[in-house]
Amino acid sequence: MGLEQGGWQQHSMNNDMERLAGAMQAVEQACAALQEPSTRAAAETTLLAFRKSSQPIAACQYILEHSHMATARFQAAATMQEAAIREWPLLTADERSNLRSYCLHYVMARADAAEAYVQMKVLSVAAVLLKRGWLESVATEKEAFFAEVRQAVLGAHGPAAQRSGIALLEALVSEFAPSTASAMGLPAEVHEHCRASLELDYLHLFYLWAQEAAVTSAERALQGVGGAMDINVCASALRLMSQLLNWEFQGTNWVRSANGTVVMGKSKINAFTSAIGRDANSTKRSVDHASLVQPGPGWHDVLLEANRVNWILDLYAHIRQRQVGGSSWMDSPLAVSARQLIVQLCSLNGNIFSSDGGTTQELHLQRLMTGVTSWLDPPEAVVGALIAGSSSESELLDGCRALVAIASVNSPSAFDQLLKPVSRSVGTLSLLAFLTREVIKAREQNGKEEDTWAVEALDILLDTWTVLLQPADFSKRIPFPSSGVEAAASVFQAYVDIEVRAAAASANDEDDDAEQLRASIAARDEHLSAVALVARAAPMSTVPFLAVLISERCSWLHQCTGGRNDPTTVLEELHWLLLMSGHVLADCGDGETPLVPESISALNVSAAEAANHPAVLLSRSVIELARQSLDVALRAEFFSPRLMEAIVWFFGRWVDTYLMPADAGRGPNSTPSSNEGDQQQISGIAGPQLHPLVMAFGEEGGGKAALDVLVRVAVAALTAWPGERTLQELAGFQLLPSLVRRRNICVHLVTLEPWQELAQAFAYQQPPLIRLASPIQRALSEALCRSAAGMGSGDATNQYVRDLLGPITNSLATLSKHDDLQVFAQQPDVIVQVSCLIERLRGAARATLPRSQKAIFDVGSAVMEPLLVLVQTYKHQSSVIYLVLKYVVDWVDGQVAFLEAKDTAILFSFCVRLLEIYSAHNIGKVSVSASVNLLNESQTEKYKDLRALLQLLTNLSSKDLIDFACDVNGEVENPDVAQVVYLGLHIITPLMSVDLLKYPKLCRQYFTLLAHMLEVYPEKVAKLSPEGFARITSTLDFGMRHQDVEVVSMSLTTLNAIAFYHYQAICRGQEGLGVHALSIQNSHGVVKEGVLDHFLRSVMQFLLFDDYSNELVEPAADALLPLVLCNTALYQRLALELLKGQHNALLQSRLATAFHVLLNANQVTSSLDRQNRRRFRENLYAFLSDVRGFLRTR
Amino acid sequence: MSDDEHQFESKADAGASKTFPQQAGTIRKGAHLVIKGRPCKVVEVSTSKTGKHGHAKCHFVAIDIFTGKKLEDIVPSSHNCDVPEVVRTDYQLIDISNDGFVSLLTDNGQTKDDLRLPTDDAILTQLKDGFAEGKDLVVTVMSAMGEEQIAALKDIGGKN
Repeated sequence: MGLEQGGWQQHSMNNDMERLAGAMQAVEQACAALQEPSTRAAAETTLLAFRKSSQPIAACQYILEHSHMATARFQAAATMQEAAIREWPLLTADERSNLRSYCLHYVMARADAAEAYVQMKVLSVAAVLLKRGWLESVATEKEAFFAEVRQAVLGAHGPAAQRSGIALLEALVSEFAPSTASAMGLPAEVHEHCRASLELDYLHLFYLWAQEAAVTSAERALQGVGGAMDINVCASALRLMSQLLNWEFQGTNWVRSANGTVVMGKSKINAFTSAIGRDANSTKRSVDHASLVQPGPGWHDVLLEANRVNWILDLYAHIRQRQVGGSSWMDSPLAVSARQLIVQLCSLNGNIFSSDGGTTQELHLQRLMTGVTSWLDPPEAVVGALIAGSSSESELLDGCRALVAIASVNSPSAFDQLLKPVSRSVGTLSLLAFLTREVIKAREQNGKEEDTWAVEALDILLDTWTVLLQPADFSKRIPFPSSGVEAAASVFQAYVDIEVRAAAASANDEDDDAEQLRASIAARDEHLSAVALVARAAPMSTVPFLAVLISERCSWLHQCTGGRNDPTTVLEELHWLLLMSGHVLADCGDGETPLVPESISALNVSAAEAANHPAVLLSRSVIELARQSLDVALRAEFFSPRLMEAIVWFFGRWVDTYLMPADAGRGPNSTPSSNEGDQQQISGIAGPQLHPLVMAFGEEGGGKAALDVLVRVAVAALTAWPGERTLQELAGFQLLPSLVRRRNICVHLVTLEPWQELAQAFAYQQPPLIRLASPIQRALSEALCRSAAGMGSGDATNQYVRDLLGPITNSLATLSKHDDLQVFAQQPDVIVQVSCLIERLRGAARATLPRSQKAIFDVGSAVMEPLLVLVQTYKHQSSVIYLVLKYVVDWVDGQVAFLEAKDTAILFSFCVRLLEIYSAHNIGKVSVSASVNLLNESQTEKYKDLRALLQLLTNLSSKDLIDFACDVNGEVENPDVAQVVYLGLHIITPLMSVDLLKYPKLCRQYFTLLAHMLEVYPEKVAKLSPEGFARITSTLDFGMRHQDVEVVSMSLTTLNAIAFYHYQAICRGQEGLGVHALSIQNSHGVVKEGVLDHFLRSVMQFLLFDDYSNELVEPAADALLPLVLCNTALYQRLALELLKGQHNALLQSRLATAFHVLLNANQVTSSLDRQNRRRFRENLYAFLSDVRGFLRTR
Repeated sequence: MSDDEHQFESKADAGASKTFPQQAGTIRKGAHLVIKGRPCKVVEVSTSKTGKHGHAKCHFVAIDIFTGKKLEDIVPSSHNCDVPEVVRTDYQLIDISNDGFVSLLTDNGQTKDDLRLPTDDAILTQLKDGFAEGKDLVVTVMSAMGEEQIAALKDIGGKN
């Protein structure tokens, strides 16, 4: 480079010009060639070479000034940016500032130019240059630069330059914001500094300038003095203002030091994650329509002053009134930016509002509300105009967004009061309700089309209701104002009316496949729960309303008997009403026991009226409907599979909340299954007097009768609609589990006649139950076995389970002894039956209770031999093998914690034999297939098998961690555990490949197992062959670089385990990992580093230079300490390398100190006891937050 | 109810070409199915209804296990489908003849010489190379509805 520079200066002026013109020509040609596919590759190479060329800035400037080709100018600007950053150290201070003002002047001089993208690029170059020199340049230099920018922004050089000035500020803001910053090879600390400095010193200035520019240009435009350019300037000024409010304000992390410069606050979080696109998640609120704007108190005057807020509202009112921008004014940039800014002002929150009891905030929001109301009020007219197509929806949508923003920073009653001072009698809630109703109606008119404005508006409005009814902060929950209750009721009625009508209209449509997709069901449920929240705000009217609608339709059905009328529309209406009612009455528990929604349980109903409690009425009407499905004639005529699905779904949800509710005093978090031995449940949700809901469906009240109906309904759902898979799945996976979830229900269940009949039919493998698909068999078996919890004593429980499963064991045993098993077993119907039986066993194993564990172990050991025979027989039927593996996984999982040594030995030796047979048939086998598809299928099967194996090994080795068995003999070693582990690793490592590890579930399981095994049995691992060990280490390498935090953490745990073992062994004078730890020189003289050295290197690299989550520091510290202790020499060499790489003397000494402190401060010693490791962890935290800031560059 | 009902019944002679009825609603992905007279493996099952309140029907996408051709079928879910008996048998490889046939050793000590070499290149080379090197090779032959094909290969030399 130096030589070239010398040559450069010798050029005469003429030569110079020629050279620049030549460069320009080359770039122009390449840009043109870029358009042609045939010449594109060559052109790209030319341009890339130009970008990388040494000192191209002069050429860039020449091209920018002389080229007529916009693309060439763009390339020149891009090159200039890259080169300036790359060659920054070579530039003198003057050159740097000249280059910066060159960019600024270039744009100012050509502010009118057509190709705006070139100007934007040049501006972003200016922004990058400014940021690059930000910490080096003195205050006066910045001041001068910004004075110039300010002049431009305020319009001293005309509107075109004004617009460019604003664009420069936009570029600056996005360059300084960490999520949009461009890379410039600087430490993260510098980026953070720049951000902080801009936030503290400049952002509010920019805002003021932008507003001033907006004010003047708007004035000119509205008085008709200015031209289109003024409108343009005004729009971009407003856009800049809203961009500034979008800034991720950090507030208190930054402090100003004594000499006025900004210094970084000590914050651990920022030291570990690079901010690129990650922080966004943490600051987002759950409600996506309302992200809060939280600038600090410094912005108080800038944003909240009445005049400023009023000005923007007036401006928009003017635009609106005069329709500035022609007929489509609503969507003009000016109107859009103005509205956006107003919405953002609505979402202001946090300590910008001084602590004056909320007065400032209230006034501020009242002001805004006045303006926003005019976009939405009267709703009839606004929505009417939209339906007629005479206006654009954007104003309405922004209005709704403003509402949700205001709602999220207000309590419901404060929200309601906001409109009052504006001389209106109605509250905001009434307006919201009115608007919601109109939008609901409009949605109907829009028909079935998705993605219409009405759908979007309704979504936002429902969010508003959700925010009001269910604030994120529960402590701030206060009663909903009474006017709001009426409003909510009216909204819900309108919604139900229209949806029922829509259901009727669509009843005869062809089935829509998309409706079956899980995603669309989830979306539907989410929507309905939002609506249900509204309904629950007014349960006195909404719940009886639903009950009436359902009863009404039940009686209509009876009018259709004998084919007099087609019931289809009524069926579809009922279907929808059931879904809605289910959402209103109960929440989805997800395994917990959801309580009765507060507003429903709090309803004040007198004892005399108890039977008419709204929730009782509604539940009764659905139970009555369900009861009718038990009548064979009615069933055939009316109960379509789809209606039945809705009924079954409804009860799957309802049972958890309403049927025989457990004592409320237990609290919502207790798990029902832990109620072992708790015979007496105290009934009563509210005080000594029985709550109407408990009277209706409690154990003492009508609960048992309801349970009887529900069991019959569940059995019917499984058997009376053959082949209806969806219905059977709902019955098996939702209704049955909810019936057996709580023990107090099981107590009644096992005494009920229909349940006993079901159990009998199950045990004796009678049709039609035995014909159900195998997953349903599993669910059925699980439910039946779980209900054994309701038996009075442990013996009775075990007997119940033995009776249920005994015939299955017999069937399997008989089959395994069949004379011609090899041939007979291959018949498809036999395979189906075997699969069903194994699935039943698996269901039973999943339902292992402490009380029934003995019976399930006995059943399991009775089928061990038959199963091994079957595994041998079905070695080619991968589906059967898979089911066996899954069964054993669940069986072991249920049993392992309870077994005593003798039984453990039985279980382990069974597993060893199973694994041996499996590996004998699967390792080293190559399958061929007629098509890629089939081959993929068999790969998937392998993958699933492998996952099951991993689970099995994990479960087996967990015996050492959780052991509830009461072994009187004390320390009896579990005989086969080590053998199982060794064999397991032997089977799994050859099957494991990096490709397979890309499956996230498999990957997690594998590393969980690996971490566990190496922690508990490092000596076994050390005995692996070098190939086997190498496989494990290569997967560890993969795991360390994985995206999943848990996987990385487990890899680190594994490393810790290996190093820990090795170090301790060495200390005791043993060989530890032995050969694996040694560096090996192979025959070609290439040295292969020992494992521990290799990992010391990569852990250091990881800690210092990679992006990772804070929570990984701890496991990394635990891994690092033993690794360092194993090879202190290498550690010191690595530290030395890093020190040499650091050229800045100040930083170098900082680094050296940090390294010293890491190993010496805090009395860290070379032992591996817990205390010492904890100290080391603390040291590492300090070390990293000190050092990473300048070591990592970007 | 008699005790036999829950035992496996031995149906009359089960020839390799036989098919068995099974309810469409219980057939899952990965199972076998006869479509248009061909034995197939199901790769996709979806259900839909005849009208919203009608009965379910199953839509099967399946692949011919011998030719790899894709076939589709729609069956009401309560109806029965034909399921083929697919048997896989292991034989020891004893010879590869020049005319593209293999010679296999059956369990009862006889030879089976009516199978062609597989068409798949990878397995073909592995088979030929392995045989040339004198490895002990076991081939798995898949048969269904009267057809047969080599489906897998395993080297048992030394390990068993």
